[in-house]
Amino acid sequence: MFFYYIKLALLSYRRNPVLSTLMVFAIAVGIGAFMVVYTLTYLMGGDPIPQKSDQLYHIQFDYGDPAVSVFEPPPQLAYRDAMAMLEAPFDFPKTATSRFSEAIEPPSQNIAPFFANGRGALSDFFTMFNVPFLYGGPWGEDSDTNGEQVAVLSRELNDRLFGGENSVGKNLDLGGLVFTIVGVLDEWQPIPKFYDLNNGQFNVSEEVYIPWHLIASQELRRSGNTNCWAPPEGDDFQAFLNAECAWIQYWVELPDQNAFNEYQTFLSNYVEEQRAFGRMRVPIEKRLYNVIEWMDEQEALPNEIKVLTVLAGLLLAVCLLNTVGLLLAKFLGKSAELGVRQALGANKSSLIIQHTIETGVLGTIGGLIGLGFAVLGMKGVKILLSGDIPVEWLHLDMTMALTTVGLAIFSGIFAGLYPIWRTSRINPAIHLKTQ
Amino acid sequence: MLKMTNIGKTFLTGQVQTKALDQINLQVDEGEFVTITGPSGCGKTTFLNIAGLLETASSGQYLLDGEDVSHLGDRQRAKLRNQKIGFIFQSFNLMPDLNLFDNVDVPLRYRGLSRGERHQRIEEALTNVGLWSRRKHLPAQLSGGQQQRVAIARALAGSPRFLLADEPTGNLDSKTAAGVMSLLHEINAKGTTIIMVTHDPVLAKNSRRNIDILDGQIRDDARRSTAAVA
Repeated sequence: MFFYYIKLALLSYRRNPVLSTLMVFAIAVGIGAFMVVYTLTYLMGGDPIPQKSDQLYHIQFDYGDPAVSVFEPPPQLAYRDAMAMLEAPFDFPKTATSRFSEAIEPPSQNIAPFFANGRGALSDFFTMFNVPFLYGGPWGEDSDTNGEQVAVLSRELNDRLFGGENSVGKNLDLGGLVFTIVGVLDEWQPIPKFYDLNNGQFNVSEEVYIPWHLIASQELRRSGNTNCWAPPEGDDFQAFLNAECAWIQYWVELPDQNAFNEYQTFLSNYVEEQRAFGRMRVPIEKRLYNVIEWMDEQEALPNEIKVLTVLAGLLLAVCLLNTVGLLLAKFLGKSAELGVRQALGANKSSLIIQHTIETGVLGTIGGLIGLGFAVLGMKGVKILLSGDIPVEWLHLDMTMALTTVGLAIFSGIFAGLYPIWRTSRINPAIHLKTQ
Repeated sequence: MLKMTNIGKTFLTGQVQTKALDQINLQVDEGEFVTITGPSGCGKTTFLNIAGLLETASSGQYLLDGEDVSHLGDRQRAKLRNQKIGFIFQSFNLMPDLNLFDNVDVPLRYRGLSRGERHQRIEEALTNVGLWSRRKHLPAQLSGGQQQRVAIARALAGSPRFLLADEPTGNLDSKTAAGVMSLLHEINAKGTTIIMVTHDPVLAKNSRRNIDILDGQIRDDARRSTAAVA
């Protein structure tokens, strides 16, 4: 009977093409608009590293000036605390990481020197965050501790400097220093850039990666946000490093609850110790945040997107309400046919199934057209956002495409509930005489 | 095969109660051809709807093939309508966007018959009314008389025990109506019980049994011999 009902649904569409098309477009517009915004929400606020987002923890400390009542503890760490964390007696993978920007002198004279965005990190950074490599691999732990001048390039930078060839073992002139290239990344653009939400969560991933200690030892040009709550005692770089200024993101990988508890105790003891020195006077409830918690805490999903999601949801609701009205008109217009069907042996359940399938068919057609609208909408969003953030990742994937059609079918059926209920209560005897 | 005892039907419209049927006592035996007559609003159609299980009586008992159907649920009533009762309406009530084949197929679909059996029954029914060759046509492409023959084919395809006809010739010219009546008599001759509501005094006069209803009550139940009818 399923295919029979599908046939009846298509015949019903053909019988009332204008009314049916209006319903289909109401569903398509509502679904299309909603899916554009929902896809943005899904892409921008989704779990960027689902395999281990509950094992990667960002540290936040109780920094602040109690004299300033509204002071919000900064999301990053001061240099001395990052160093203390690195020296903690744990074997858990960990990384301090921060941005810099330095000039690159390309090996080819045909390319003019340019500034590149770089990131200082520890070797664990690459394994902790599942960073894919095209050539070579991360530098070793020795390179971290010995301050070796080694570098990992992004695929894009490798394409630009070496034409996409394997550049492992070649030199890179960065900020006047010579680095040995040990690895080239494959495409890697986590959305959002969860490991550094304070410096543009949708910015392009960095072009070059070097051992983090080199930023301090070579006094590289730092970039990104810096929060200070006490002025440095001097003008030199060492004074800045010693100052109460937060500019470092710090991540640790804690594989299980025991590790989490152990590390949390360590942090609590550390904070108590620092309080004895007059630091960390603004208590915070939580010091360890996993990836999702950190994204929530830092409001990685822009408020504008949240507002848009609500508005798109309301638009979908209005479209569905219209569909309810149109379906009601259509179904009640079929009262005589329904009376005949009942006279010929249809029971109420079979009428309900017939009309549920009819609304499902309308939802499917609406969903397919809505999918087209959503694809066009995403192209529009790309045009609007291009120049502000990287937009290559803005697209409807298969999950979203199926979600669109699924949601449309559900919406169609949902919109049909009341009209179907009304239809099923029709007394066939009344309509048989009046047809 | 059909026995009604003290059947009553009351409609409530706002605060007003209207008695459509009152104390109907009736028995129709297998193979009968019964006409129902009476003025407009007397309760003929209400009687037909109750007999066809499209409405429930407010009071009384209704036995169909010996089974008390007075208090059956929707699903059971639909099953009985599908298996035992065929309907023929004044305005044919064919599905306008289904061709003749698919129109006759409707009750067979609800019965859950196999594709092959449905096809065989549809072919037989449409052949009996002389319209098998036009099975791919839509109802709108047929004359009124032809449409009524399709409706009869649809009613007969499920091999019902009895046919309920509500003014089947009401929308037809006299010549076409005579053809339809002739077909109904043929069907009755083969053993199908027919109960037909009509306004036509000639049809009523020529039937073997005529029941006259007035104000919801049976005023007259007249039986005639075969010879008299002929």
